[in-house]
Amino acid sequence: MSLRYLARRLASAAITILLIVILNFVLFRMMPGSPERILLGRIPNVSGEVVAATRERWGLDKPLFPDQFVAYLAATAQGDLGFSYGARGRPVTDVLLQKLGPTLLLFGLGELIAIVLGLALGAYSGWRRGGVLDHLGNGLSLILYSTPYFLLGMALLLIFATGLGWFPTFGIDTVGRVYSGPLDQIADIGFHLALPLATVALGLVGQYSILMRSSIVETLSEDYITTARAKGLTEGRVLRTHAIPNALLPAVTLIAINLGYVVAGAITVEVVFNWPGLGTLTVDALSSRDFPVLQGVFLLLSVGVVLANLVADLTYGILDPRVRT
Amino acid sequence: MTAPALPVSDTSLRPVGRRRGAFLREILRRPNGAFGIGILAVFTILAILPDVLVGPLQTAVTATGPRLAPPSTEFPFGTDQLGRSILNLTVHATRISMVIGLLATFITVAIGAVLGIVSGYVGGRFDAVLMRVADFFLVLPTFVLAIILTAIIRDALGTGSRELFGIRLSLLVIVVVIGITSWSSAARIIRAQTLSLKERAFVDRARVIGASSGHIMRRHILPNVVNLIVANAVLTFAGAILTETTLSFVGLGDPFQPSWGQLLEAARSTGAPGLGAWWYFVPAGTAVVLVVFAFTLLGNALDDILNPKLQGRR
Repeated sequence: MSLRYLARRLASAAITILLIVILNFVLFRMMPGSPERILLGRIPNVSGEVVAATRERWGLDKPLFPDQFVAYLAATAQGDLGFSYGARGRPVTDVLLQKLGPTLLLFGLGELIAIVLGLALGAYSGWRRGGVLDHLGNGLSLILYSTPYFLLGMALLLIFATGLGWFPTFGIDTVGRVYSGPLDQIADIGFHLALPLATVALGLVGQYSILMRSSIVETLSEDYITTARAKGLTEGRVLRTHAIPNALLPAVTLIAINLGYVVAGAITVEVVFNWPGLGTLTVDALSSRDFPVLQGVFLLLSVGVVLANLVADLTYGILDPRVRT
Repeated sequence: MTAPALPVSDTSLRPVGRRRGAFLREILRRPNGAFGIGILAVFTILAILPDVLVGPLQTAVTATGPRLAPPSTEFPFGTDQLGRSILNLTVHATRISMVIGLLATFITVAIGAVLGIVSGYVGGRFDAVLMRVADFFLVLPTFVLAIILTAIIRDALGTGSRELFGIRLSLLVIVVVIGITSWSSAARIIRAQTLSLKERAFVDRARVIGASSGHIMRRHILPNVVNLIVANAVLTFAGAILTETTLSFVGLGDPFQPSWGQLLEAARSTGAPGLGAWWYFVPAGTAVVLVVFAFTLLGNALDDILNPKLQGRR
């Protein structure tokens, strides 16, 4: 991978993050009500000095541009995102960090399972195009793709938690339970994680399998596949060493690009299971119009997605010699 | 006469009526197209005639049934926590969901088509900046942005109970927000097609005889990307319904004009899945899945017809 490729990707990611911060600034100023009230939230008994200090810190007595904008950029860069109304005036950054862990656990694992399963399923049904598994898998993938994530969660909750009683219905651990050791605690969290995780994985697997399938079908019509077959390689060998590696790259890129769209929608799964992560936080913040928290979630998710894309781009650069320019 | 630009546009010489009939037959000939059209026809009837089919929308005042009762002969889909018939609510929600989806699709595709055509045709720095913005929107977690925008615009407008064309303003805000946040993929696709069209001889010919850029874009480029716009609109419709459902689910619906998403939200906040009250959310949930599935199938069928190159690959 050339240095130029690396520099271009890094610059592009930096510009995107800057654009996100600018968008956040614009949204922030579009909001009804005075900015210092939004920043201070509903902290009761705010004294005149605190309001004055806030105005000073965010440069609210100065013109919107460049002074306020620069103050906003500087504050954001230092992780200062204002205060949450919902959490009684705690800094937004604190609130976000507290909820980040459960979300990372749920979506990290969920994405991983969905990607592995989806790619395998897609590759197989694309290879055996027109076969029984292809038709079945394709139909199922399309139906899963058409189902809102939270609806899938409600169905799984109804069947496996309420109906069969196999799993707990809400939360990340059993409230008030005293653990005999770390293993006991992990088991309890795993038990609570099972259904939300299954929902996220099932919700995503359909679209990943569709992506991979069309990528494999496209690849199988390339000349080098014909060449490989003409050399007398077995079908399995053609698939493993020629088709899959080439089909994987575009599929993975598309997965990375869609990440923001997908994850933002999928966080609604958390609401169904009362999973204490960013999704539940978003919905709670929305109902109390806790704008600083909403903006914080948006910033955090956007930056996360940009970074994931950067990683995908760089991996792509290492794996595929054609894009190393 | 304009030279045929897309493989499909050679049919443009035939009379309009026959062409449309042939196109519809072409869709119905495919199993996925026929299935999609069939499902959508049923839901369109539900959306047009809810009052005739199940009576006026029940409210907390006009509810007659027992609370949260399972399906019975009187209430085939059971009742909610206020005693309203779920069948009545779900059928009425069809109109709300479909109309919001339709309007949102219209705005999304209109923005995408205008920006895509102008960007592709004008080119240069304008194109570079606009595509940069489109990429930015593709990467963004647009759903969270949509939540924030909807909340801000509603608070700023103070929507209250105002209506426009019989739709509450709060729902029209959702329509506009979906349009603002989802135009980018349509713009990208239409721009790509415009780029290839503007190199064709018939565009050169128009330019040589002195046609203005606006005229060329309207009379020569636009007719040749209409097919693409339609195919894109069908898939956008599916996405718009999903987005509206999810936005309503997180609490941005309007209880006075419930959509499917709003019903699902009501079911969840009542605790229906935990209480085993499956009848509360299964009808609305099935409706969402069926309609989105139907649009996706129809979109695939259109894609097959309009991109003959891909035929046999699906």
